[in-house]
Amino acid sequence: MDKILRINMGAAGGPKAKTEAVGAYAGLGGRALTSSLVAKEVPPTCHPLGEENKLVIAPGLLSGSAAAMSGRISVGCKSPLTGGIKEANAGGQPSQMIGRLGYAAIVLEGKPADDTLYRVFISKEKVEITPDPGLKMLGNYAVVEKMKAAYGDKVACISIGQAGEMKLSGASIAFTDMEQRPTRHAGRGGVGAVMGAKGVKVIVVDDSGCPVRAPQNPEAFKEANKAWVAGLRKHAVTGQGLPAYGTNVLTNVINEAGAYPTKNFMWGRFDTCAKISGEAQAELENARGGAGSATHGCHRGCVIRCSGTFYDKDGHYLTKQPEYETVWAHGGNCGIDDIDAIAMLDRLDDDFGLDTIEMGATIGVAMEAGVIQFGDAQGAINLVKEVGKGTPLGRILGSGAAVTGRCFGVERVPVVKGQSMPAYDPRGVQGIGVTYATSTQGADHTAGYAVTANILGVGGKVDALKPEGQIELSRNLQIATTAIDSTGMCLFIAFAILDQPETFQALLDLINGFTGAKMTGDDVTTLGKNILKLERDFNLKAGFTRQMDRLPDYFKREKLPPHNVTFMVKDAELDQVYNW
Amino acid sequence: MQTATERELRLRVAAGGLARFLPLLGQGVRVTGASGASAEQFIRRELAIAADYLNERIQTVFLDGKAIDDLGAAEVGDGSTLALSAAMPGLAGAVLRRGGAYAAMRRQISHEGRGAAAGGGTVRVRVKLFNLVARELGPDLLTRGVWVSAADLRGFLDRLGAGLGSICRAAQWQGRPVACRAAAGRLPAEGWVLLRITED
Repeated sequence: MDKILRINMGAAGGPKAKTEAVGAYAGLGGRALTSSLVAKEVPPTCHPLGEENKLVIAPGLLSGSAAAMSGRISVGCKSPLTGGIKEANAGGQPSQMIGRLGYAAIVLEGKPADDTLYRVFISKEKVEITPDPGLKMLGNYAVVEKMKAAYGDKVACISIGQAGEMKLSGASIAFTDMEQRPTRHAGRGGVGAVMGAKGVKVIVVDDSGCPVRAPQNPEAFKEANKAWVAGLRKHAVTGQGLPAYGTNVLTNVINEAGAYPTKNFMWGRFDTCAKISGEAQAELENARGGAGSATHGCHRGCVIRCSGTFYDKDGHYLTKQPEYETVWAHGGNCGIDDIDAIAMLDRLDDDFGLDTIEMGATIGVAMEAGVIQFGDAQGAINLVKEVGKGTPLGRILGSGAAVTGRCFGVERVPVVKGQSMPAYDPRGVQGIGVTYATSTQGADHTAGYAVTANILGVGGKVDALKPEGQIELSRNLQIATTAIDSTGMCLFIAFAILDQPETFQALLDLINGFTGAKMTGDDVTTLGKNILKLERDFNLKAGFTRQMDRLPDYFKREKLPPHNVTFMVKDAELDQVYNW
Repeated sequence: MQTATERELRLRVAAGGLARFLPLLGQGVRVTGASGASAEQFIRRELAIAADYLNERIQTVFLDGKAIDDLGAAEVGDGSTLALSAAMPGLAGAVLRRGGAYAAMRRQISHEGRGAAAGGGTVRVRVKLFNLVARELGPDLLTRGVWVSAADLRGFLDRLGAGLGSICRAAQWQGRPVACRAAAGRLPAEGWVLLRITED
């Protein structure tokens, strides 16, 4: 991956593509590359939908190689949802294919002179940018079907649905999976709106004739990959829990902890969550059967296989197995306990190109406003369809929870920096609240997800029982997560690394065997810190202040049943997160 | 007072059918034990769970919704709810893990631990088994028989709907045969029911 493909959508005479050497971004992948490029090349005060913003799509450091779990892809830009820097990532096939084509990144720049919609085709031989008005206001599924008809069933697609075309701040970018379905989304922050602003409906990637990327040290790489896979397979989470139940295995546990945000964050428990738990979902999927029902990978080379395929009661494909965040957002958060309805909402989100977390949180706010009642599954489906149709109500909802809250006069809007909180109430798990408040990305659980922080030795060993530990832990987790995001590895590797030092060593050996570098745990930490600093600086220049590193006031005031806790971390403590 | 048989539902299901009932264990089964026991003693003694399994597989334990770090220090009282889970993914999984490196992040919902009270009486505890723990311990429990809330069981059987007909081979309520699909309708409106399931 020694080159970058830049496509200037605003070039005189129409969009122009040029390939250049990776240059200053050499050795970077995933979030490290997207954030470095955005920080260096995008004016922090620009309009996110304007010509100065850039959309950066970067595979991970090891994408395109034989390394297991290396298929995550990062998307970076200035976010229309948060107004700050954004990195959203996804699984699917494109990362491996772009890696094999040799691109460290694809960058969409400029802005077309009119509202012409384009498709981009990238192969070993050529890059074609073609106006394609026939794609206008199509959903992701229909777009992919058209591309399949035009280019065959071996290509991968990166596309936006109607929401991206309408430049709504809740819009995602879809990446096709192994079955060529647009089910993997870079969901957060409205990255789909930026792609829409660039006038690009779909990027088709064809890696025919491109070999798997070769490691610098084949023997060391092969051995490390073997140890890496063995480590992931033997761990209870990555080898058993996730394959059996998917991420939705968390529903029962978070609910039991009283930290499951219910009915727009009013309660910490959802009485009927058992109906939508991972256990119930997996048993239902197993009973309905079908290919890849309860256990399935989201890209080739995945050994955890936390996903699945959801078939309706008649056995027809509906969507991929909805993840925990989706089941929560459209389920418990809206008082909905019908797993088939939640799967339908997931399908609609994927088709229209919407972030499921943002949409679920938004509908929760709309329910609180009285637009529909909590628990009204069909009403929720209808609201998402409003977004797809682009009605005035739909455009408000598609712009996210913060906008919807303002339009309907709701105070209880669970956002930080304009982005909706995910499925963990910060009053229950306050350390996650610290991350929601202070992340460069807006409220984001994955910003501090890498539980490897202590293994990496980020900030030294923190005493878990020390009161102030939450600040240090959140800081360290954010640094570690940034580093893992930069490798392009799936974050679910974290538990195996946390518990099995030999598996962490295998990861380092894998990276070193591939790149020929001699990266240590300290280097990984330094990388994470450097990227976070770049992101933080960008946000400061964009106008962010420390007052934006806060949760909404009601989290400090309203007690969350059943434990009746409020968010107790002081503002002064939050301000210490970036003091390292 | 009713005998166990008077509140007993027996189901015989097709091979593989028992797994469909495992999510029911996540809603809780009633277990009676001696009072004054710590969570560890209760789990070992009343649930007959081996020490190795407890230490290695059961990574997250809640007592009345609060995450326990020291199983020996938390007393199980009458009416308590005890929930057992295997290791969970992600940060939340790490945070909720007992004695984990990230326990500080959920300090407000951690069980503070109390010394076990004097014994002598009995306690009735709602035990919830989640995920792999339910999958691994559930089949034996269901075969031996578990006390479940009648309302939970009725709701669960209703949700199985037509699926129940395809896996259920025979049913008995209060010792008398009933049609599988009619079983839910025979259950009392409230209280607890002894459920035993055998698999062909």
